[in-house]
Amino acid sequence: MRCNYCEWRCELGAETYGKCRMYYADGSTVKERFPDMWSTYEVSRIESIPFYHVYPGSRCLTTGTSSCNFDCKYCSNAFIAKQDPAEMQHKMYRFTAQKLVDMAVRLGCTSIVFNVNEPTVSLPSLQELAREAAIAGIRMGCLTNGYSTPDATELLASIFSFFNISLKGLANEYNRTCIGIPSVEPILRTIRRLAERHHIEVTTPVVQGANDNELDEIARFIADIDPEIPWHVLRLLPEDEMKDAVYPNIEQINSALIGARTRLPYIYFHNFVGSEWVNTLCPECSAPAIERFSLGCGGDRLQRFLCANGKCPVCSHNIRILGEGTV
Amino acid sequence: MNQTEHKQTSLAIVDARDWQNQFDLRTGDKSEVRSPLVELMKEVLGKHHYPGDSGPDCNRWVTDTALDLIAGYQPQFAFLTYAGQYFASRMGPMNVPERQVMMTELFLEVERFIGESGFTPVIVGRGGVTPLEGVIDLSDLDGIGISTHWSARYAGLHEPSEADLKRLEADPNVERIVTRKEFLDLFVGASQDSLLLPEYLLVANRGYAFKALGCTARKPVMIPDATPHIPFFSSLGSADEITSIRSVVDRGLQLGRRVALIMLEGVGADDFHWPGTPCGNSREWFCFEPGDAQLLAITTGQHRIFEYPPGHLFYAGDSEKRDYPLSGYFKEIPAGTIGAEFSGRSIAVGNKSMSTHMVSGADLCVECFARNHYNQGTLGVIHRQDKV
Repeated sequence: MRCNYCEWRCELGAETYGKCRMYYADGSTVKERFPDMWSTYEVSRIESIPFYHVYPGSRCLTTGTSSCNFDCKYCSNAFIAKQDPAEMQHKMYRFTAQKLVDMAVRLGCTSIVFNVNEPTVSLPSLQELAREAAIAGIRMGCLTNGYSTPDATELLASIFSFFNISLKGLANEYNRTCIGIPSVEPILRTIRRLAERHHIEVTTPVVQGANDNELDEIARFIADIDPEIPWHVLRLLPEDEMKDAVYPNIEQINSALIGARTRLPYIYFHNFVGSEWVNTLCPECSAPAIERFSLGCGGDRLQRFLCANGKCPVCSHNIRILGEGTV
Repeated sequence: MNQTEHKQTSLAIVDARDWQNQFDLRTGDKSEVRSPLVELMKEVLGKHHYPGDSGPDCNRWVTDTALDLIAGYQPQFAFLTYAGQYFASRMGPMNVPERQVMMTELFLEVERFIGESGFTPVIVGRGGVTPLEGVIDLSDLDGIGISTHWSARYAGLHEPSEADLKRLEADPNVERIVTRKEFLDLFVGASQDSLLLPEYLLVANRGYAFKALGCTARKPVMIPDATPHIPFFSSLGSADEITSIRSVVDRGLQLGRRVALIMLEGVGADDFHWPGTPCGNSREWFCFEPGDAQLLAITTGQHRIFEYPPGHLFYAGDSEKRDYPLSGYFKEIPAGTIGAEFSGRSIAVGNKSMSTHMVSGADLCVECFARNHYNQGTLGVIHRQDKV
């Protein structure tokens, strides 16, 4: 039978596990090979994921499973995402959904965020986790590559209430050679659909010389959906097969964002220590509404939350935020 | 005048290759201060890009950066940490000949620094590494098990159930379960020192590491071998305990010598290439891992275990607008370090990130800024500008 979770739509069998190697067919049912197995659990601030417009300053429990359905040449988590998941299991944690949620509550977390690998490869476990989280009043968010089928996108939307979707590039050539997928269209469809249902932020890792020429076009795509979608432009430090790539030049990438900044009020350029493009400025009067400090690589933190009730402290313009911030 | 009386603002300059930014170290606010030392620091950072924790030249970076800081600032005291061999040991399997080659290269790199700088060395191996034999999984406890800051041998246990304690007592790989009071008494702490201590400190057998909240998902091949003694070498005198090293350095400085305190990460007695003597690295059953508590004991001459103890709830104080955003979990500049108390000029360079500027207290500090081995660039800190 064919898997209907991501756009690879792999043929599955009892011992045929598909591209992600995380599912098998049990009769006419797709089942997880490694349910309730998690690669990590950690306490983080929501800004470090990154989510900049979701409950600013809140504490979340981050977790993930193993494997991925992409083959990004620059993968930063290859030691989890590209390993054979069967060989990973002895390093994993076995947690029931109840246990993970209990932990989140005890650790003072207000949300659980799936941020290590692609959630589409572990949907049944995440459905169960979402059920338990809802009972405890814990919100769920995730990072995703957006390569889900329309049905799976609806499933994702039923599990998570906030998303950071990675839009790595628009050109099919780039997506083929660098990401390993034939087309970006499913991702664009997912972004459009999830933006209708939930809070989303979009992330684009910039590989200089490969996709930095597309920044204007990506900004136009986001603006056409909703110009207030926050966009994270990451200065990527390539790993894995691209480990020896030249370090991206910060000034040059920042210059390439000049046009995009006229279309999108919430553009953030970061993933390097000391970035000064991590603050939220009021789209109306440019006053600082939320100030952050960036350490790069998952180290961003809230410095000052200045927009009580989601209003600009100077002109009272509405600042898009899901939930309240820490004041 | 010492640092205690000194109120000058510490500056931080980050370098992310061809791009620099400057901050107030404490507040994280952008700084526009310009001065000859700021220019010197920017020039040194711009010239010496960190090659990465796994880069073959990451120890060479320490020497080259230090030599340039010395040339520009003429300090009398230098604090250096070389960590390339520790990262290589931790991340990948290595046979004995490979390890010998690596240690020889480290030795030559340190000798190059000594030869070119003319400093009198005080060399400390912070303890060797040992193969990871197995893990003690704390994730299934009723309580919260925490292992922090790349610690292997120690973990904190918070809010355990009776069943948790029974299980751990029966675990053959758990060497010891220590109550908060026992730990406090061991280091003669006062009641206020217990605030950050876990209810129980768990101690693993040699070769075992805890698997708990705070652990990285990357499984190490080798882990620190926290042993009762670490190797020490200096022509300035001997040090029986790590808290005695400070006085050896002070003695050299008082004699007018230019002294370099050189810390070698992941180096135990077996790998130490100098005619070293054993230096006590423990108090009764507690042996220091190569963390910041060990460094502070060395640079202050006092045990400072309670400031950031193993297994503490590291996230509890992670509130909005915390001071020192570039300084890891440090919430203030530790008092009493060599650099902070020495009236002459001092520099520090290290490639074990985010703590060199705090534990050394040196006037000018440069360290790599790698997070979980992702090479973000470098951080330069200027604590003092009044000695020029």
